[in-house]
Amino acid sequence: MTTSLAIDTATSRTTVALVKNGEVLLELHHDDPIAHGEVLPRLVSQLLEVENEIDEVVIGMGPGPFTGLRVGIVFGQSFAFARNIPWRGVCSLDSMAAQVDAEDFIVAIDARRKEFFWAHYLRGERVNEPQVALRQVIERFTSPIYKEGDIYPCAKFMPRISGDIREPIYVRRPDAYPAPVGVTFRPMNAMDVVIVASLEKLIYAGEDPWSAAQFKEELASADRHYLVAEKAGVVVGYCGVMIAGDVADILTITVDPTLRRQGIGREFLKRLIDWARNKKVEAMMLEVRVGNEAAEPLYTSNGFYPLTTRKDYYGPGLTALVMRKELR
Amino acid sequence: MNQPLVLGIETSCDETAVGIVKGRTLLANVISSSVEEHARFGGVVPEIASRAHLESIHSVLTRALSEAKVSLTDIDAFGVTAGPGLIGALLVGVSSASGLSLALDKPLYGVNHLSAHLAVDALNSEHKLNPAIGLLVSGGHSSILKVSHFASDVIVIGSTLDDAAGEAFDKIARILKLDFPGGPAIDRIAKDGDALAIDFPRGLTNDADHRYDFSFSGLKTAVSRYLQKIPQAKVADVAASFQEAVVDVLLAKALSAAKSEGIETLIIAGGVAANSRLREVAAQRCGEAGIELRIPPMALCTDNGAMVAALTSLAVSSGAPASSLGLAAESSSGLDRVFWP
Ligand SMILES: [Zn+2]
Repeated sequence: MTTSLAIDTATSRTTVALVKNGEVLLELHHDDPIAHGEVLPRLVSQLLEVENEIDEVVIGMGPGPFTGLRVGIVFGQSFAFARNIPWRGVCSLDSMAAQVDAEDFIVAIDARRKEFFWAHYLRGERVNEPQVALRQVIERFTSPIYKEGDIYPCAKFMPRISGDIREPIYVRRPDAYPAPVGVTFRPMNAMDVVIVASLEKLIYAGEDPWSAAQFKEELASADRHYLVAEKAGVVVGYCGVMIAGDVADILTITVDPTLRRQGIGREFLKRLIDWARNKKVEAMMLEVRVGNEAAEPLYTSNGFYPLTTRKDYYGPGLTALVMRKELR
Repeated sequence: MNQPLVLGIETSCDETAVGIVKGRTLLANVISSSVEEHARFGGVVPEIASRAHLESIHSVLTRALSEAKVSLTDIDAFGVTAGPGLIGALLVGVSSASGLSLALDKPLYGVNHLSAHLAVDALNSEHKLNPAIGLLVSGGHSSILKVSHFASDVIVIGSTLDDAAGEAFDKIARILKLDFPGGPAIDRIAKDGDALAIDFPRGLTNDADHRYDFSFSGLKTAVSRYLQKIPQAKVADVAASFQEAVVDVLLAKALSAAKSEGIETLIIAGGVAANSRLREVAAQRCGEAGIELRIPPMALCTDNGAMVAALTSLAVSSGAPASSLGLAAESSSGLDRVFWP
């Protein structure tokens, strides 16, 4: 006699089920991509009213958006820890595939930013480790695709999925940045400060944007270095760095919002690093807002590592991550 | 319940911590910092912090239970930091605590991190818990809190407009080419310097709109300007004068809050409470003002689980209701509530 409690939070759906000797006693789910933490305990408590004697916990280990995924994993592990019963991890794509009646198909979970976590199934078996890819890439396969939304992980199928995955399935995202096309870079001069200040005001409204006069003062300081990016003769971004002791501190890297993700920021960073190297400083440091998903991987892939965090650095609740890159 | 056995979990930033208390007695305080994990992943905080919390939480729980020599089934109530903090990191602690509490059918209290920093002072002493002014200073916090009742009424009356105090120490240490973290480095070198050598500005001391708020950016600028003007300045003098300005403004504001609120106890918590000059001046000025000064032991000043357990224990003893099932972790700062409903 085995009663399994199954939990999955890898997608926008929180799904839980109670399965006793292969018989499904109850399956419950709730759709909300950001409320797994609130939803899961409520659903599980409803299951426990049906049957409180649990023998094992079966947990969906992903892949899936990390924050929600971890809610199910840590909750399930802690539940098992407290009851002193075993837990077992299964691939979240597998309980989706269990609902598909086909020979050859692909199952995909939304990884956000136009990407999907996916796996290929043949005759009921998963044939590859879960991967992440752009939508266009998986659509090149000829097999039919069952995406999150068409189907979801379903906890009632989980106890009969074999295997025991002990770690969350964190599928790494490949770092691919296109090169900026038609953009030129040059030092900032006094003629630029008005347009730079207007970009600054547009982007950092409410965050104490610098005025043209402040930029002028910055340009006059010997230990600073500012660059602008120009596209078709228009300034579309700027960046600055300052020397503080043995460290070069990145003051800003700002790109016109309509031209983001085109490699302008990456080129700025590269040029600032080169400049700092020439100044023979020991390291470079910068602050990035926690949750600024576009910026963090850029810095990480350029050798910056997290040093510490600063709570409320950008205002209440807005934490800054301080990153450092050794230059020597 | 008079002497509840309480387990507290703290995961709001990069420390995975579990503390166990019985009533006001500390039984265990286990902390696993993810600093090394960060280096290993070479990746991104807060994602790295959240991954590290998940990896270590159950071993930290196991260690805390064995240190306290209690079994999980003996626990009367669970407490967990529900905010403020990094949302992904908070969620690991809250989800773990929910799993434990549901599995064992024991109440769960979602607690406020700032409040817990001060409630830790209740531990290992049976002193009466009088209303207090809390000065919470660390790399992440710079707040003045008014504690009318530890388990129900704590409000933030002042906070920093820019850098946290610990952060100001780090930045000045960088300018002075001292070690990281800057707090201990400045504390050390300042002992050889003249605190009165340079009269650095005391931010917001005469600003009626910001009576209890701090601003350290002007001070930071003043220090770098001073060094630009006088590059041959003695580092120890600059460090000592800078530290004196910070200590002065922190204590001036905290003691003025105590005076105008008619409160006779000052609690200093957070990592900056380790600063020797802050302790020295605080003792002296509190003595002069007839104010009782309380500084928890350093191990309980930085982020830890014992503070969460301590606050939860006070709640259980005072009969406060537990949080509802599925309490929501909240990253936002400030202090709207001591406990989550
Ligand atoms: Zn703290």
